Amino acid sequence: MAVEIHAIPGARFMDPAVLARIGNLDLVARAVVDGFINGLHKAPYFGASVDFAEHRGYVPGDDIRRMDWRLWARTDRYYIKEYEAESNMNFSVLLDVSKSMDYGSRGITKFDYARILTACLTNLVHRQRDRVGFIAFDNEVVEHVPSSAKHMDTVLHVLDRIKPGRPGGLKAPLHRLAEHFGRRGVLVVISDFYEDPEAVVDALSPLRFRGNDLVVFHVLDPSELEFGFTDAQPFEDLESGEQMPVVPEAFRAEYRSLVRAHIDALAQAFAAVRVDYTQLDTSKPLDFALVNYLNGRARTMRIR
Amino acid sequence: MSFLAPLFFLALAGLAIPVLLHLTQREKKQIVRFPSLMFVRRIPYQSVRRRKIQNWLLLMVRLAALALIISAFARPLIERATIPLSVATAREVVILLDASYSMGFGDRWTRAQAAAREQIATLTASDRGSVVLFGSGAEILIRSTAERSRLDASVDAAAPGASATRFAPGLKVAGSILADSTLPRREVVLISDFQRGGWRGEEGARLPPGAVLTPVEVQSPAERPNLSVTGVTLARSSFSDQQRVTVTAGVVNRTEQRVAGSSITLEVGGLTTGTRSVDVEPGGSTSVTFDAVTVSARNMRGTVRLAEDALATDNAFNFVMSPSVPLHVTVVDRGVASAGVYLARVLSIGDTPRFETVTRQGDAVSDEDLRRSAVVVLNDIEVTAALARRLARYVEQGGGLFVAAGSRARWPQEVDLLPAAIGPPVDRTRGDAARVGSLEYGHPVFELFRAARSGDFSSIPIYGYRSLTAATGAQVLARFDAGTPAVLERRLGQGRVLLWASTLDVSWSDFPTKPVFLPFIHQAVRHLAGYSEPEPWLTVGEVFSGSAVTSRGRTGPRVVLTPSGRRVPFDDEGSDVLELTEQGFYELRGEGNQSEAVVAANVDPAEADLTPMDPKEIVAAAGDPGAGPAAGPGGAPMTPETREKNQRLWWYLLCAGLLLLGADTLLSNRMAKA
Repeated sequence: MAVEIHAIPGARFMDPAVLARIGNLDLVARAVVDGFINGLHKAPYFGASVDFAEHRGYVPGDDIRRMDWRLWARTDRYYIKEYEAESNMNFSVLLDVSKSMDYGSRGITKFDYARILTACLTNLVHRQRDRVGFIAFDNEVVEHVPSSAKHMDTVLHVLDRIKPGRPGGLKAPLHRLAEHFGRRGVLVVISDFYEDPEAVVDALSPLRFRGNDLVVFHVLDPSELEFGFTDAQPFEDLESGEQMPVVPEAFRAEYRSLVRAHIDALAQAFAAVRVDYTQLDTSKPLDFALVNYLNGRARTMRIR
Repeated sequence: MSFLAPLFFLALAGLAIPVLLHLTQREKKQIVRFPSLMFVRRIPYQSVRRRKIQNWLLLMVRLAALALIISAFARPLIERATIPLSVATAREVVILLDASYSMGFGDRWTRAQAAAREQIATLTASDRGSVVLFGSGAEILIRSTAERSRLDASVDAAAPGASATRFAPGLKVAGSILADSTLPRREVVLISDFQRGGWRGEEGARLPPGAVLTPVEVQSPAERPNLSVTGVTLARSSFSDQQRVTVTAGVVNRTEQRVAGSSITLEVGGLTTGTRSVDVEPGGSTSVTFDAVTVSARNMRGTVRLAEDALATDNAFNFVMSPSVPLHVTVVDRGVASAGVYLARVLSIGDTPRFETVTRQGDAVSDEDLRRSAVVVLNDIEVTAALARRLARYVEQGGGLFVAAGSRARWPQEVDLLPAAIGPPVDRTRGDAARVGSLEYGHPVFELFRAARSGDFSSIPIYGYRSLTAATGAQVLARFDAGTPAVLERRLGQGRVLLWASTLDVSWSDFPTKPVFLPFIHQAVRHLAGYSEPEPWLTVGEVFSGSAVTSRGRTGPRVVLTPSGRRVPFDDEGSDVLELTEQGFYELRGEGNQSEAVVAANVDPAEADLTPMDPKEIVAAAGDPGAGPAAGPGGAPMTPETREKNQRLWWYLLCAGLLLLGADTLLSNRMAKA
């Protein structure tokens, strides 16, 4: 970066609708991430591989180069210095660009929100010198940017021009992608998951087979959660084009309970397979998603 | 319940608006594009149906609110009895008794009296009754009394008069009695033979609201033959200086039975002078001519009388005959025969009245001539100042002066009598002759020529006339085509002066040879003399004027002797008119009980036509349509408070409508939040 753009104070708390209007994903991502990092008092992760993590007792077979001699001199015992895990990891965002993502009731669509989120995460990870990649899919793979330390700009460029347009499906593209990720890494899936929880988990599970860490963001518009419509109107499914008459006032309670049940089922199913699941509301600032991601990372690292 | 403004119900059509809005809005719903209907699809469709029913409820609430508000605007009115029953039964009854002379037919009058007594017998102690006799007018015998004996006595004492039937005056009087009454139930009992001739539509006779009109018809069980004398014609003739009058009477049979051999007599001065026999077919008429009678004295009384039949009143017909009095005219001319010949010829003709002409030359007119003459004619002469002054006095005392202004006419400047100053002659012998136009047809002299083809003055060529300058107070009755006055009139004192701008001979015009000349001169002389033809008879109900039948300048106490022998005094200051109510001869007597005039009064012959009408017609026109014969206690006038109370319902309706609207708002808000 030739010019260092300093963080816009409070950018991470900004209304996503306002951020969406900025348009330049690079700028938005940097603004959000800089502000986010500056605001953290303590990083929840362990950084690069040169960073010390802990000591452990020497066992035969350990590389003696990793022996901590200073500690031997003080304690007359052999200790091995342990460092943090390989930090030069692969990071890929799998973004659902199906037609249903192109919906927004409050100035920002789910797709725009997901795009900004992707840019922010990519930016965040890129600063750690990790390799960033990007995959867009609907019912098949639409765009594929392989993970690379130099692909930050490419990712942002692809993100910028991609448009949602076709009906989506999780199983086919994700199963196919699962074969691609040969190297261990972090995979972030961003979607609205309009499928049965079992089918969703079934579609995402293969991504974990090669030891990938899977982070799932479930993006929903407030009106999808609240169903705050008042007039009785015919509703059209964005993907299938199907129409049906809906009287929201009578539907609302039942709809809410169904959505809540769906979210709960997803959370439960992902928890069962140790996948980080976060449900995001497009009216909430991005800060929530980022904190959630980093917390999730820290937790998985500590569990190891 | 009724409505004061039912037209507002048209606004009920507005109820369709919310329904239409509801329907159309449903059709025009925008499609909401939603990411996925995955969850919506799982909700059973039944919910939609239920929602629709809730919407209908809201719609019904709105419609009900609108309907209530519209009903409030239509002003509902509750009609109910507000008077306690004990008070409500008290009645004010007006018995209208037909006293026209047709009630004397057969036993109608006794039956009418019986019907009236029957009605009086139904009165209770709290009721009040009135008895009103009516014919062409109405007379209240007893007004609003609870004493039945007095009512009975008044009915017993009443008798049919000589007038014709007119329902309207009686109904108006009954209406005024009812309007003054405070009793709740108001009734009019109309006892009559209901002749068709007595009712000519509504005539403004309406009873107060709530009043009940009950007709009681009295008809004779079997129609008996009835003849009536409808009128007489008097044909005058002169026979060896005696005036004779031939009387012809018209007889009508309005019944459906043939009358044969009925006798008819003529009585003059109380003596029978002739008797004839008449045969009249049913519904037919005939005329009977009697031998001529000599009219020897003034005010000879004549009566044509039929033999007794079912209705006596219409059998007699009275009239008065007097020898016709000639109208004295003094003609002043130059003594040239050719100048006065046309005028003399014209004045020698005429029966009503005859003209007695005296011709004088210039100043030879004596005071005696002036005293005797009703009219003086100055036929194109030069008048000296002395004669002019005498004529002025004569006119002021009531004489008439006719001045024909020919080439020789002169009038002294100092005497202001003529309606115009006589100017120089105008010669129209060259070019078109002058014509007389723009007649004052409203004036008595020219009234005769008003109708079409009743005489054409404009066809008369006038070759010369005197230019006249109208004096103040003069009325121009005709003008020449040039606009200058042709005939002028001026009133002076009690007399009149008429000025004709041309001659009465053929020297200046063809006027004397034209058909309009004779009626013009006759009318002018009659008008100047103030002549009016005496009426041989009047009809009962007409007015007899004392001043009209006596000569001018009569003063002193006078009295009228009615046929029944009553003496009605005429005072000098007050009115000297008397309404004729009886059949027979009214005699006006002056000082010393001297007979001055006699007037014959006859009944209206139309009343003898007994054709009945349907009483319902009168009930429908005059009675209150809301009040039937069996109407309950509904007759009392409502106080403003009661009326307001009966109409107050609109207030509640409006409140209910507004409350419903409020409820609708709450309901819809709650439904929106749910």
